[in-house]
Amino acid sequence: MIRDRRVWLWFAPVMLVLGGVYLVPVADVIRFSFSDATLLRPVTGYGLDGYRAAYNDDSLGVVLRNTGLFTLLSVISLQAMGLAIALLLVRGDRRRLYGMGALRTIVLAAWVIPGIANGLIWQMLFSEAPFGAINSTLRLIGLAPVAWLSDPGNAMISAVIANVWQGSAFSMIVFYAARRAVDPVLYEAASVDGASPVAQFIFITIPQMRGALLVNSILVTIQTLNTFDTILALTGGGPGRATEVLSLNIFNRVFYSYDLGGGSALAVLLLAISMALTVIYLLVLMRKGAR
Amino acid sequence: MRFAFAYPLTAALALTATAALPQDLITRDRVGPADAPNVMTFRLTAFDLYSSDDATREFFEERFLALMAEYPDWRIETQLQTDNIGQEQARMLEQVRAGRGPDCAMIDSSQLGLFKSAGVLSPMNAHFTQDQIDDLFPFVRDGVSDADGNILAWWWFTSLQVLYRDTSLVPDAPATWEDLQAAALTTVEAGREGVLFNGGRWEGTAFDWLPNFWAQGGELVDADGRPVFNEGDNRDKMLAAINFYKDLVDSGAAPSRVTTIINYDEFNAAAAAGTAGLFMGGNWQYGQLRGTLSEEDFANWELSELPGPSADQRATGTGGWTIGAFSDDATAVEICARIAYEIYATEGNAYQGLLPTSASLYDAYDAFDGPEYDAFAEALVNGVARPGVAIYPEISNQLQVLLGDVLSGSATPEDALDAAAAAVDAAFERL
Repeated sequence: MIRDRRVWLWFAPVMLVLGGVYLVPVADVIRFSFSDATLLRPVTGYGLDGYRAAYNDDSLGVVLRNTGLFTLLSVISLQAMGLAIALLLVRGDRRRLYGMGALRTIVLAAWVIPGIANGLIWQMLFSEAPFGAINSTLRLIGLAPVAWLSDPGNAMISAVIANVWQGSAFSMIVFYAARRAVDPVLYEAASVDGASPVAQFIFITIPQMRGALLVNSILVTIQTLNTFDTILALTGGGPGRATEVLSLNIFNRVFYSYDLGGGSALAVLLLAISMALTVIYLLVLMRKGAR
Repeated sequence: MRFAFAYPLTAALALTATAALPQDLITRDRVGPADAPNVMTFRLTAFDLYSSDDATREFFEERFLALMAEYPDWRIETQLQTDNIGQEQARMLEQVRAGRGPDCAMIDSSQLGLFKSAGVLSPMNAHFTQDQIDDLFPFVRDGVSDADGNILAWWWFTSLQVLYRDTSLVPDAPATWEDLQAAALTTVEAGREGVLFNGGRWEGTAFDWLPNFWAQGGELVDADGRPVFNEGDNRDKMLAAINFYKDLVDSGAAPSRVTTIINYDEFNAAAAAGTAGLFMGGNWQYGQLRGTLSEEDFANWELSELPGPSADQRATGTGGWTIGAFSDDATAVEICARIAYEIYATEGNAYQGLLPTSASLYDAYDAFDGPEYDAFAEALVNGVARPGVAIYPEISNQLQVLLGDVLSGSATPEDALDAAAAAVDAAFERL
């Protein structure tokens, strides 16, 4: 423990920058959430009306259900896809297979595409027009076309697919680094003992990567909760409200209803959900001795 | 030898200086001499003076320079708006109220009412003749005037929605909802998709559907700007218009994928692919179709007024942009009015093929010759502008949700309408 108080002098610049960039906007959102501010006029009073109006909105239940479903499906898929690609890469590296660098690059390419562009790409792929890319392929192989975006249930699945396609690279990077850090001796000893690859995965890989799983779970959950650009471009939240998640609802509330106070109240809810999930992940996974 | 280089060099420098002069008078953020003592700000979109198309940009540069030559003591500081119209206009209104807004600006016609009700626009009456004002289409004149007859902005171009059809399948223009459904089913039998229209979550969906409500005489808001679309007769008219779309999808006259359409380009693509038989689109798509389709295919496409519940109940949604002044300076307001009329509303529209807001201007320029412009001018007589009230964007948002829910079978028209009205009322209370 460093007891020299002068150390805070060294910390001061970074604390000021981080505080200015992150804490001040958050504090401003919290302030707005207690106000009657709209985009059309400044604050004229403070109170709980914004919270009352936003939380009594009949559509909030549907929006929260969509948010929960979208986040749950996305996080599970992102973890699974990221882990699968990372293990594939590690195995390929170990066997010195050609093309592993190209595979990493291809997966990472999706990650750098902006959310809006990602939504537009998948909108073209999922197009239900007679010339839509995926449905045309399905017809070519004799399968019936799918209502990817016009069916409310399928639309949510399509939004998850678009999100997972873009976000898997991030999970892959985290898991790839974590898997490379696992001591090879553990696998060698398990092989000598006759452990199958599945047993090695369950009893060595997963426990050894618990820390990475924890960190990745937190990060992709928060990232998914804040995702709205891909959905905005892909479905706009429709049909109806079938794919309208909380972050998109906040965007609509502020920029369609001009309700800055109500939108901020929901943004505080989103912040609270993110923080609560982070704490839950920490409690569950750290208690089991995550590395 | 020295002179042999000196003369051409001097000539080149002189030519460069001459050529550079107009360039110095127009930059990315200024029109007029940099040292002019008087300054006015003009907030505009990026499609004309700063167009990415060289010829368009040069056309407007010449017009701006010619106008500003009459005001040598003035310079215009230009400010570009982004494509995010809702945010931009809301922010601009906030800036104007705080005294930090531009002196002159392009205002989206659907947002003009916000600025009118805020009382921030400077009247331009002195700069337009009564003939020019009388020549405006009725919905335009109403849109730019206040209760005292002041002209608060100049609506320089408009747009409207029309029905496009492939005449090889549908020779006669459908005049009623029933006609349209029958015609669309004919195209389905021929292997096409039926009638296409916007049905996804975006402004185009509400804008293209509202004429069905307006054609019956429905009103979204009352004189005070309060939402009334779910009250009295308006509710019945709303339900009739919703059921018109629902019947199209349920009968197969329109594909269920209309709930995914959030872009007019989808219609052009379907026409180019030969899968569309009919679609409801914007007037500007006529030129796009001409450029996209082969001459032979394009010859099959015609446009007509949107059908109504009966042949004599018709309406079309009108859009476009206005220019208004926020300045108290008389000269700045004068320059603003002249920019609006002399540069944009007349020659600018003819150059860009945008629809003028005055009947006589269609005859004044050759650019507006052609049967399509006759059809546009005819349909504009039944033009209805979106109400210029702060609650309109939320009404539009809720109508998009409503149509998506009904067309995808997630809600009945009655329930969806009640939910939309409740949400709009709640939002109205917060404004």
